[in-house]
Amino acid sequence: MALPVELAQTIIDPKAYSQRELVDEAFRQIRATAPLDKAELDGFEPFWVVTRHADIKDIERQPDIFHNGDKSTFLTNIEGNARVQMLTGGEPNLIRSLVSVDGKEHKDLRGIVFPHITPRAIKPLEEQIRAIAREFVDHMLSFDGQCDFAADVAFLYPLRVIMTVLGVPQEDEPFMLKLTQELFNNADPELNRARAELSPEDMLKSLWETTMELENYFAAVTKKFRENPTSHINSLIANAKIDGEYLNHRQMMGYYIIAATAGHDTTSNTTAGAMWALAEKPEMLARMKADPSLINAFVEESIRWEVPVKHFMRSAVADCEIGGQQIKAGDWLMLSYQSANRDESVWADPFEFRIDRESNPQIAFGYGVHVCLGQHLARMEMRILWEELFKRLESVELAGKGERTISNFVCGPKHVPIRFTAN
Amino acid sequence: MAEGFRQWRCRNCGFIYDEAAGWPDEGIAPGTRFEDIDDDWYCPDCGTEKQDFELVE
Repeated sequence: MALPVELAQTIIDPKAYSQRELVDEAFRQIRATAPLDKAELDGFEPFWVVTRHADIKDIERQPDIFHNGDKSTFLTNIEGNARVQMLTGGEPNLIRSLVSVDGKEHKDLRGIVFPHITPRAIKPLEEQIRAIAREFVDHMLSFDGQCDFAADVAFLYPLRVIMTVLGVPQEDEPFMLKLTQELFNNADPELNRARAELSPEDMLKSLWETTMELENYFAAVTKKFRENPTSHINSLIANAKIDGEYLNHRQMMGYYIIAATAGHDTTSNTTAGAMWALAEKPEMLARMKADPSLINAFVEESIRWEVPVKHFMRSAVADCEIGGQQIKAGDWLMLSYQSANRDESVWADPFEFRIDRESNPQIAFGYGVHVCLGQHLARMEMRILWEELFKRLESVELAGKGERTISNFVCGPKHVPIRFTAN
Repeated sequence: MAEGFRQWRCRNCGFIYDEAAGWPDEGIAPGTRFEDIDDDWYCPDCGTEKQDFELVE
């Protein structure tokens, strides 16, 4: 039996994700009735929808069976997949990044940056990041009691942090923000490249143009860091060798692009979502001001709550059983992190934002060998921002209706209007 | 193989350290007890520190 078409359409509809309650309700029904079942929709290759926390962990701990890179890593229709293969000379993804490769290639690529971004490796960055956080707190407070926290703070602070770590000059930050938003918000007329509603064909064309513009930019980055190597992450990528050879063009461009885009957009979404939640439950502010040790729980809950990467796809290379279902070699699976982070068997009240949970095994960063490379940096920069902001913030409330981006992939709040007072 | 080897799971990403197998990629020989690994060792998959591993019951 397949999933009811109406539910399957809701969980892939970019517009539904801009009204998150619609998607949460659809997944709640799916978890209750058919937690691992196939979606069969016109124009799409059938795919399993994996909604439970335990099933996603089970799949992600078996990377030899469930591949990232054999088919598209995010949901694309049959026509879109064919066009991508035409543009890339037969590859299933426009960008060949860490999330779309497997096995030795993935291990080798990940190993270039991994030792430099562990909790211990990034600890020395704490004071530098704290100085950036203070700068953005000052910036927010300069708005005299009212701002759009998403556009005025949440989009900008993680951008500055990651560009500092990568070695991108500050003057290039607006360019990187614009192209990141084009890449991840292609279905949203407010943020996409054309600033218009696009047909699926035009969306792909637009994505390709954005990718080429990013590649042009990063070509100069390679030259710069090969001439003058530094400890920045972009320099590590530019100078890395695997089996004695520099990364090939697609590997290198994919690495630069994922680091420079996913490296801040996900944290921006989470930060904006956290402020939205705080403005709806301002009593949390008083508790965290009185006991700043609760900030770690606030960060973890905001990651669970916002879950900025809504899904990734996997394809099975062998027959196996997951969650009581027989998965066949060649099957395509959608791992819904949004659903997993609302799983009633893990959280007693998953639709509540709470900072007093005894445990919070959220899997917004994924699980297994593909778990987010930058997760520790993301947690650290969010903790530091809240530590610095809560010292000075006295009250906060919503000053209007928040808005979410139209996207079913990497997305979150795009407007969070707040009213606040400072100490 | 001696009896009583245990497994330890990274709470963050699910990586399993199996004492019987060790972790030869980083020079940790088969049979090395978890408590005998340096305290500054971290999860090879995600970077989580040794103290955040849990015993697999």
